[in-house]
Amino acid sequence: MTQLVLQSAVSGLLVGGMYGLVALGLALAFGVLKVLNVAHGELVMLGGYAAFLIFTERGIDPLLSMPLVFVVLAFIGVVLYQLLFRFVVRFDIEKRIKNSLLISFGLVLILQAIAVLLFTGDDRSIVTGYSSAAWVVGMVRIPWVRLSGLVVAVIAAVALEWLLTRTTFGHAVRGTAEDWSLASLAGVDVRRVYMIAFAISAGLAGLAGSMVSLGYSVNPTIGLGWTLKALVVIVLAGLGSMRGIVLAGMLLGLIEGLASVWVGGPYRGVVALVVFLVVLSFRPQGLFGRGGAYV
Amino acid sequence: MTRHKLWVLLAVIALIIAACGGNEDTSDTTGAATSTTEGVTETTEGATATTGAPMEAPEAVYFGAVVPQTGAFAGGGAQVVRGYTYAVDAINEAGGVYVEEFDATLPIELILRDDESDPNKTTSVMEELAGENIAVYLGGFGSPVHAAGTAVAEKNQIPYLGVATALQALHEQGYQYYFSPFPKSPDIAVSVYEMLNGLLPEGERPLRVGIFQETTDWGEELGALWVEEAANHGYEVVLHEKYAPGSEDFTDIILAAQAADVEALFSLPTPPDGFNIYKQMGELGWKPPFSLVVRAADVPTWNDLGDAGDGAMLSAGWHWALGFEGIDAINERHIAEEGRPADPIVGGSYALVQIVVDAIGRAGTLDHQALRDAIAATDMDTVVGPITFREDGTAPIENPLMQRQAGSVVLVWPVVEGEGAGDILYPAN
Amino acid sequence: MSRWVSTMVWLLVLVAFAALGSITDDERLMTLAIQTFIFAALASSWNVLGGFAGQVSLGHAAFFGLGALITRELWLGEMALPLAIVIALAVTAAVAAAVGLPMLRFRGIYFSVGTLALGVAVWITAGNVWPGISSLPADALREYEFTGPYYVALGVVAVVVAVSMWLKRSKLGLGMMAVREDEEAASATGVSALAYKMIAFVISAVLAALAGAAFAFFSVSYYPQFPFSVVWTFEAITIVFVGGVGTIVGPLVGSVFFVVGRDMLSSTFPEIQVLTFGVLFIVVVLLLPGGFVEAGQRLFKLVSRGGADQKAKTGIRPGEREGKEKT
Repeated sequence: MTQLVLQSAVSGLLVGGMYGLVALGLALAFGVLKVLNVAHGELVMLGGYAAFLIFTERGIDPLLSMPLVFVVLAFIGVVLYQLLFRFVVRFDIEKRIKNSLLISFGLVLILQAIAVLLFTGDDRSIVTGYSSAAWVVGMVRIPWVRLSGLVVAVIAAVALEWLLTRTTFGHAVRGTAEDWSLASLAGVDVRRVYMIAFAISAGLAGLAGSMVSLGYSVNPTIGLGWTLKALVVIVLAGLGSMRGIVLAGMLLGLIEGLASVWVGGPYRGVVALVVFLVVLSFRPQGLFGRGGAYV
Repeated sequence: MTRHKLWVLLAVIALIIAACGGNEDTSDTTGAATSTTEGVTETTEGATATTGAPMEAPEAVYFGAVVPQTGAFAGGGAQVVRGYTYAVDAINEAGGVYVEEFDATLPIELILRDDESDPNKTTSVMEELAGENIAVYLGGFGSPVHAAGTAVAEKNQIPYLGVATALQALHEQGYQYYFSPFPKSPDIAVSVYEMLNGLLPEGERPLRVGIFQETTDWGEELGALWVEEAANHGYEVVLHEKYAPGSEDFTDIILAAQAADVEALFSLPTPPDGFNIYKQMGELGWKPPFSLVVRAADVPTWNDLGDAGDGAMLSAGWHWALGFEGIDAINERHIAEEGRPADPIVGGSYALVQIVVDAIGRAGTLDHQALRDAIAATDMDTVVGPITFREDGTAPIENPLMQRQAGSVVLVWPVVEGEGAGDILYPAN
Repeated sequence: MSRWVSTMVWLLVLVAFAALGSITDDERLMTLAIQTFIFAALASSWNVLGGFAGQVSLGHAAFFGLGALITRELWLGEMALPLAIVIALAVTAAVAAAVGLPMLRFRGIYFSVGTLALGVAVWITAGNVWPGISSLPADALREYEFTGPYYVALGVVAVVVAVSMWLKRSKLGLGMMAVREDEEAASATGVSALAYKMIAFVISAVLAALAGAAFAFFSVSYYPQFPFSVVWTFEAITIVFVGGVGTIVGPLVGSVFFVVGRDMLSSTFPEIQVLTFGVLFIVVVLLLPGGFVEAGQRLFKLVSRGGADQKAKTGIRPGEREGKEKT
């Protein structure tokens, strides 16, 4: 029984790392552009297919092809920004959120349909030589594939943090997020900042997609599920907090894992969501955030 | 206020335009052969119009097929489409089907629609098809879509034939228009135990059974039957875990199975859960000596798993090595187009077309009621073997079991000689 | 006076649709109409909370599903439909009151994600507890006619629209809109923001349940989990915004666009209908950010003679000008 609990906890933490990775990109888009992109999961899906194709066509391991996938998705992000989201950022925050919600909803339909046309509706997955390999630590097995998801998440979060706090671009981003009119007055090219931030957000989705392809499987409809998880993680971490995202994701995963053991598999999702709501009522600003749910 | 009035009027106009658009489709039904737009309470007149002068023939005999071509069941759906297409092409190449009431030989036209593996789309698409002068409905892949679709067929009183569903409960609703010559849950449950007892000597059998049951209607049905039949055949169910389809993480149930020392694992996972379960079994370092994953290993993409996927047992209703008449022709085309012999679901769907064409021949008409009666009276040989129907729409049919071995699907039960059949790979771990 | 005109117009439209239900035999038209009514009712119900009171709930489908579930279970269990619906509404009201209180303490995106979490949790639970398909019994299927569901759905959307209209003109509605515009200011003037939000929440939920009841009565077979799906919420919100959020006519026009539009696309472009609809949809959102209703209003201003506004400022009475628009 203890083995079951420990292993479930560990598996949950590892899955949670994935949740955090998916949520990072969405948090960046929402934090900076104040744009709610519910098609974020579809970008993850595209990243997954990109990694899958690179793997099957060129034989390049997904862990190695990640930079390429990042670039491809970032490019897609730029295209989407120029075509669509550029027009949304004209509005005030309320309207922005609502319009971006609508536009990204249309985008969900479009990207899913395109994926079906290009890749068929079948489930695809990347299976490598190390897909079954695991570190054995006492009673617990830590599969390499899952661990890599968490590692990538942590690295991405740290890199993002560094970018935002230690570079001039990062300062421009934070300034823009804070108050874009002031930033603009201070000489920041707000449109360029938005575009690059969105591109990075899409690139991060691509990285998450690579890991999804490696650790799970990808098909055109997986997007919405991951988007939902990402939204919960972002709010749990607290809006405005980048650092806490991966941790919040891991916490969510942990709760799900333990819920499986004590409440039973079919309700693991329900338990996690209920716990999320309870946490939110007691700590409305999220676990690590500033500002509040009541504001 | 007048603005608002204009908006609502515009909306009404739009609806009327849609109505006109809709009416165009239904206004070219020919003769009295099929009346699909009238009130469904009336059964069509003239059950067999074999007397008198032949009526004006339609351009073709239309089969309305609603199949998942995208979504969770897309992989299986592709096989269904292939089966229908091969059969229809074969019949058309031989000239078509003779319909006595028109005294004409007509080609068959397959109207194919995608329901996206979503039972709710299935119902709406089937309703659309009802207006297209179809003779029969041909079903898709997966119990949920069939469960939804058969109700619509019953409402519209159009015969519905489907394979790739084992849901027995559908045959206990009193439906008159649903025919499914495919192994059902009771057949599957019994066959796996009989196979294990038939192929393996007494001391070697995997007597400790574990069940991964998904929380769906079919999951519950087959899960309960596996438990029931275990006792009848000398097996013990040591684990019965439930999970919701679409879960990402199966750690807890896999570990529980390992802890219970499960030797025979039974599951019927909605794709891609089966795939994920196998992947995670690999990560957790556990694989039982015997594992039946109904629905999961049916599709070619199972090969993405490589060696880890070997040994997985399938219960897909048919295998080409059974050697019935007509299979060679199917294989010829399948190998040419897909690079391998016929996939498991291709045979069953091919047979459906054979059955309908045979029924049209006996009924002599495309009238739905007459066709239904003719189908019910079927007694013929098809590519899945000899078929007759019971009152509830099922057919006495053996459930073959296959296994994934080195990338292909091998028939292990019943034991037959020849290519495509082989010994069971046991233990699989 | 204009209120009477508008009421007459609405009644006329209602009678027209009612007549349509008796005249036509076209099953496809009736199916489209019923689907439009159900979406219109669902979208209008969301509009009460989201449009009038300004609280964007992403868990709305939970009440739609609840209404459908209770109605279906009771009605298939031999209870008379009206009684089943009344019970469904009562239960939904109770649940909404219980759930609304903790939920409405959250604001903005927290409220949205919170209701989303709740909605998904309910969806999962519904699927686990009721996994089997809900189909009408075989003989009922063979005797199925669209007339009954048509009138029920028409009645439902009429009720929902009537309630919305009454609400919008009432003090209650005014209070909700005040809260929507500026919650702090409203509280400062003594308006209990929470009370108004709660009332909007419960009314919105009950109306959604009513739409669910219509769905349950109309549908031949479906999985009980289906009406709880978050997709219904998204589609309802889409319809409201595309039509015109906060207006009465907006959700109605939006639902016609949505249902009829998708249907026409699926006949014209069967392979790529989803893709085309997505593109069309984005185009509409980008070009008409205020929805169809606002676009229509702008169009009228353009079409009516250029000097009309100017003349209005110089004090000519409205009645004196023929065909002049009145608000």
